[in-house]
Amino acid sequence: MRSIKLICVPLLACAGAGLLSAQSPSRTAETLKEWWWAPGDDRVLPAYVEYRNEFGRLGIVNTDGPIETDGHPFFEPLGSNGRACVSCHQPADGMSLSVDSIQQIWHASGGKDPIFAAVDGMNCPNLPPGDPESHSLLLRRGLFRIPLPWPPVDADGNEITPEFTLEVVRDPTGCNTDPVYGVNGERREVSVYRRPRPAANLRYVTSSGFGVSPFIGKTGALAAVDPDTGRPVNMNMMSDAREPTLKTQAQSAAHGHLEVTQPLTVEQLDKIRDFEMQLYAAQAFSYGAGPLDEPDGPSGLGPTAMATGNDGVLGNNTTRFVIPMEEKWANLPKDGDDAERARNEFRESVQRGHDVFFFRTFWIKDAMHINTVGLGNPIKRTCATCHGMHMTGMDTANGWMDLGTTNHPWALEPPESPWAETLPELPLFKITCSADLPPHPFLGREIYTQDPGRALISGKCEDVGAIVIQQFRGLAARAPYFSNGSAATLRELVDFYDRRFNIRFTEQERVDLVNFLSVL
Amino acid sequence: MRGVCLISTLAVLACSALDAAPPPGERISFVSCPIVRDTRSVPCWLAEYEGDTYYLTIQSDVSAEVQPPMLGHQVLVEGVVSDAAPICGGIVLEPVRLSVMPEIDANCNTMLPADERYTIDFNPRPPGPSAGRLAFAPDPSARPAPPPRPQGTQTIDIYFDFDKGVSFRHPGELSSILRIARELPARHVRITGVRGAHRLSNGTLLKESAGVGERRANEIAGLLRGAGLDAEAEIDWIDGDGEADGVDDWKSRRVTVVLTP
Repeated sequence: MRSIKLICVPLLACAGAGLLSAQSPSRTAETLKEWWWAPGDDRVLPAYVEYRNEFGRLGIVNTDGPIETDGHPFFEPLGSNGRACVSCHQPADGMSLSVDSIQQIWHASGGKDPIFAAVDGMNCPNLPPGDPESHSLLLRRGLFRIPLPWPPVDADGNEITPEFTLEVVRDPTGCNTDPVYGVNGERREVSVYRRPRPAANLRYVTSSGFGVSPFIGKTGALAAVDPDTGRPVNMNMMSDAREPTLKTQAQSAAHGHLEVTQPLTVEQLDKIRDFEMQLYAAQAFSYGAGPLDEPDGPSGLGPTAMATGNDGVLGNNTTRFVIPMEEKWANLPKDGDDAERARNEFRESVQRGHDVFFFRTFWIKDAMHINTVGLGNPIKRTCATCHGMHMTGMDTANGWMDLGTTNHPWALEPPESPWAETLPELPLFKITCSADLPPHPFLGREIYTQDPGRALISGKCEDVGAIVIQQFRGLAARAPYFSNGSAATLRELVDFYDRRFNIRFTEQERVDLVNFLSVL
Repeated sequence: MRGVCLISTLAVLACSALDAAPPPGERISFVSCPIVRDTRSVPCWLAEYEGDTYYLTIQSDVSAEVQPPMLGHQVLVEGVVSDAAPICGGIVLEPVRLSVMPEIDANCNTMLPADERYTIDFNPRPPGPSAGRLAFAPDPSARPAPPPRPQGTQTIDIYFDFDKGVSFRHPGELSSILRIARELPARHVRITGVRGAHRLSNGTLLKESAGVGERRANEIAGLLRGAGLDAEAEIDWIDGDGEADGVDDWKSRRVTVVLTP
């Protein structure tokens, strides 16, 4: 029998338990000022900076050089609740926001930091502020409330007639049945709960270099267009692709998250977009693998590689690769001192994890927008089939899919019982698709979901639970994972896919995959 | 493939069924569950009808002319029996047209394991990453000539899966219509949606849902308008029952777009 090498670095939560309340090394309240960017801080973001996390250090490359943040619209509190863009896009967290940081800021600020603003930092704005239970989804899973209009509206604000009805089955936050904020309330909103996405590596995320046309490649529907140019965009931003460009996203976020009452100016929007486009984030140092930005190391690792890589490139092939490693960490020397041997063993594990990601086949079955695009159901492929974008692991264009993270049966929680210590935290909706139209090809006409995803924008039955694939970079800095924060650790993320697709990873494959993901 | 028939009741029945397989050149049309047969490389797709097993296609990628069907759904098969050697144990249909039936059928769940008797000696793409190009992509060194500038009235047919509207098959065709409309330039567009019908090999007339022709016409019109087509539009729809004769009936599932300068 093959021996299993469990290569765990300090604080790498191989067991997973307790991670949500763990603190990363050097990420304590005492050093808070070093890693937390508060709105309005008069500081300089240097051309390169590193921040510690539980797997090592994340590097941020700021390609246009140091930025004076005083007066910069990304860093200034522009609205009434004191938040800035940086509140939820923290450099130390890969320009996202980890639940670890959220918990520490909660304790350091006594729950007064602007990220806990009632508008979306509470489970519902009508709850008592300051009570941790009012903010439980943010504190436990890193989720902000995203209120979306119901029925959906198009880019011009016109109501769309959805192909389905929506019924609230479970409402643990109380928001979806509230007389004001509920689905049938005064505001006619659906509240879903999602993680903030990284505001880095956006040259890749917004690239129109592959598969962008007036019609969405996977469905034939109309692609969203950039209102400034009239050109179609790749629709790879945000969980549901509801905003077409960084500028429209900034405008929308300023209104919705920052509670800005007047639209941002063109100058402010340009500055925010330009800043976001010059940031690259990736793990720069690994406690297990050592430096990741070495000139003679794997060419796909490290923040410098992100800053210099090609965007708009399909990487699911053996000419470009998704994360190029050139097998540089295969068959490393076994001699040397203990530290060198341990480093080489870890690097070999990362290389194996890459190979599992890229070459290990399994049956991808019943996944909307991948098994429905001419490949068949099932297809015998690999992780890189969906996570195919060179350097990021996103989909290349129009990247929403239903991998089961929010839809039943795959997002099903453990059955409730009198002895259960926890109850479901997220809302549950029953979606009933029109009998006059073809059903969802895998879920039929009655679908239970925690978050209808893209369907809340498109109104399409086939889009229920479809979520835009996220980038892989900086994962070490921004747990938990998936749009609904349902995987607390990288190990839980890997285990989800194993269950979902019946992959039957070996223990060694799981460890190798986690190590691979931890160095991205 | 016929092999040696053992003299037993069961074998006689089996051999009789094989012997009754349609001869090469015969058109065949049926609805049945698809079957996946794994191989050491990519899986192949089969379907059974009246005791015979037919080979449909293999897994490759989006560039394939014949794309695999879906477990969980029946598939409408329209093809011509070929005299080619069997593939994956199935009689080859060439050409073949497949359409996934929209309603879910949980009985369509057969996945056969890899079996050394069945191998694929052509393999345009392995099951993992590609070698850098799509399986059926044209030679990148051979640049295709630009399409000629359209002149006069242009008629373009767009075909659909059974009972379905616009899908992943259509972005290229829709973009092409937009280009032609701009180059003409088109002052008038007529969009006719057709509700298709099929004469199956067993004589059954299989009709698409009422209203599908109208839905298709309106959908295509909305997409072209939304993408910037600025022409006077005329939209109508018809039933294609009369076209169902068992010969290329898939062509009845269509929208016809007529662009007039």
